[in-house]
Amino acid sequence: MEYLMAGQGMSLTDKLRILTDAAKYDVACTSSGVERKGDGKSIGSCVAAGICHSFSGDGRCIALLKILLTNECAFDCKYCRNRNSSDIPRATFSPEEICTLTMEFYRRNYIEGLFLSSGVLRNPTFTMELICRTVWLLRNKYRFNGYVHVKAIPGAAPEVIQRTGYLVDRMSVNLELPTREGLQALAPNKHRKTILTPMRQIQNGIMENKNEVALYRNAPRFVTGGQSTQMIVGATPESDYQIISVAQGLYQKFGLKRVFYSAFVNVTGDKCLPALPGGPPLLREHRLYQADWLLRFYGFRAEELLDEKRPFFNVLLDPKEDWAVRHLGEFPVEINRAPLEQLLRVPGIGVKSARRIVAARRSGSLSFADLKKIGVVLKRALYFITCSGRMMYPVKMEENYIVRGLTDQKSRVRLGSDGMSYRQMTLFDDMGFAGPVSPAERLETAVGQL
Amino acid sequence: MVVYRCEDSLESIFTAIYRTYEEKRNHGDTVLSLTDDPLLFAEDVAVVPDEDKARRVMDTLKRRFGMRDYSYLCMALASEDEEKAQAVYRTVVSGLRSGCREGHLFDNLADRDIHKAFSLARNVSTEIGHQKQFLRFQELERGLLYSRIGPKYDILVFLMPHFADRLNIENFVIYDEKRCLFGVHPACGEWYLFRSEEAERAFEPALSEQEMSYQELFRQFCLAITIKERRNQKLQKGMLPLRFREYMVEFQRV
Repeated sequence: MEYLMAGQGMSLTDKLRILTDAAKYDVACTSSGVERKGDGKSIGSCVAAGICHSFSGDGRCIALLKILLTNECAFDCKYCRNRNSSDIPRATFSPEEICTLTMEFYRRNYIEGLFLSSGVLRNPTFTMELICRTVWLLRNKYRFNGYVHVKAIPGAAPEVIQRTGYLVDRMSVNLELPTREGLQALAPNKHRKTILTPMRQIQNGIMENKNEVALYRNAPRFVTGGQSTQMIVGATPESDYQIISVAQGLYQKFGLKRVFYSAFVNVTGDKCLPALPGGPPLLREHRLYQADWLLRFYGFRAEELLDEKRPFFNVLLDPKEDWAVRHLGEFPVEINRAPLEQLLRVPGIGVKSARRIVAARRSGSLSFADLKKIGVVLKRALYFITCSGRMMYPVKMEENYIVRGLTDQKSRVRLGSDGMSYRQMTLFDDMGFAGPVSPAERLETAVGQL
Repeated sequence: MVVYRCEDSLESIFTAIYRTYEEKRNHGDTVLSLTDDPLLFAEDVAVVPDEDKARRVMDTLKRRFGMRDYSYLCMALASEDEEKAQAVYRTVVSGLRSGCREGHLFDNLADRDIHKAFSLARNVSTEIGHQKQFLRFQELERGLLYSRIGPKYDILVFLMPHFADRLNIENFVIYDEKRCLFGVHPACGEWYLFRSEEAERAFEPALSEQEMSYQELFRQFCLAITIKERRNQKLQKGMLPLRFREYMVEFQRV
């Protein structure tokens, strides 16, 4: 297959710089969801939990070699730096260059695998064909057995997408904007239908493949790590409620593994786009990720967290605290008796600590000191739980009081340095009450690894 | 009270556990100690490591608690806490006594010793995870991969299976500079560890021709992937503690 290569004669370093820079706004960089041992003949293995090999200056993880095949693009999406009307240096990797880079980085333990996306070169099917060919080379000629994530280009022929699916671990189609109107306004060449069609195709492919693999153990695997998508937050006027409702729909109807949210960064300066003098809406993105977690692992539904009347998340409280203070009737929860689903709804208790509570209370009733050992964040949980019928401190079950306790350090119930005893506040009180976030929590929320 | 004096090794500690059962000790009144601190009114027993006895304890632990909890016990013993032997011993005793099912050894976190063993193991397992993330290989002449690490705990033995599986067709060496320990993996062969005090002296490996250019490429990649508008060094520092950076190519200045 012959195609015109932009920037021919450009050094590999320059190409890598241009095509990394062009790929960086894509959020998905996880290597999770696939467990695959080495096969003894090729290089590479996959770990289900995913491994982040480095962290860039913005604190995001570097797990995969995240690059574009080319930043040439036939489309003209207003939010995208690579739109065809933007005047930027263009470059295109040859498939061999991508394979060599992936192999050499992987051997040195720099990366967990390859994330390959692309601008639309000529037309979607042609681009998808190039991606497919590159991954085929990587798998068969270079014998790479690590993680590969590729983008399905909306509008590409189903047959090419199918073929690519058998070579990769994860595929994603970016929804970009949660509503039809938003998409129409900002991405004139993309249509909701061309985005949802490949998504549905991949979903069906995964389902069918599961049956095949159940029947024939050695059947080739199709997109074993599931598919993901991404939505841009803050470029169009959609509310948080609309966004998480769409996310919930995607999880339920399309069986997606992950939905990623990307705080909008105005890189094109297009007049249709909002100027963001305060920087990208990072807190909003953070709240959406927290809510996303609640949908997937805590048994919450979008309608419980937000509704038409209050369509945006609280700035001060996280979505779970916010839900809890609006449903004080469900609290306090008795730690030694409540079922797992109820424990999961308590602020300060995560999935791990809820499971540990259920396991530990089989051997005897738990006290607040035990909860601390288990990893419950008592300064948040104390308003909502009892141990053997007692609360940790006398607490008023009243919304304003609790909100103040959760948000304002000064009026928070005073905890001693052991986090257990409660003591008089003194003039010389300088203990760090703003309890630090645990590294594990930070990892989960910031990176979105699971 | 009886005090078993062990060395800081799996073999010695497992031998001691075997002997507490063999000699029908009252487990509530028996201590495994890694130090020589004398205890009043205690009977001292010196433990001589015995491969056979240790092996039998290992088999029992694997069979009764499952591979996952067994490796967790081993991780707890790889930590540097003086009371790790005692915590693991108490955990094993209560696990065997309660007849817990496979994978439920650490359920009762309200118990002091179980919690202690659990949190030691968790610290070690975090360090193993960090090394899997942040370890970097350099290519030497003739394609040999070489890595220098300085982990908090003695974890090379947990690291080798991961890389041996992943890089099975490569020759590679991981060198723990804090313990003068080498992990060696010949291509398509079995890996092994050896300790050498001599090699530590200024081992300046000769890099392969293209090594520096790939290091430079990766540095460029890490720079280019950063979104300036989202700059957040505090988050970066939280995720990637500074102590690892000395070993990582992307943080080296050239």
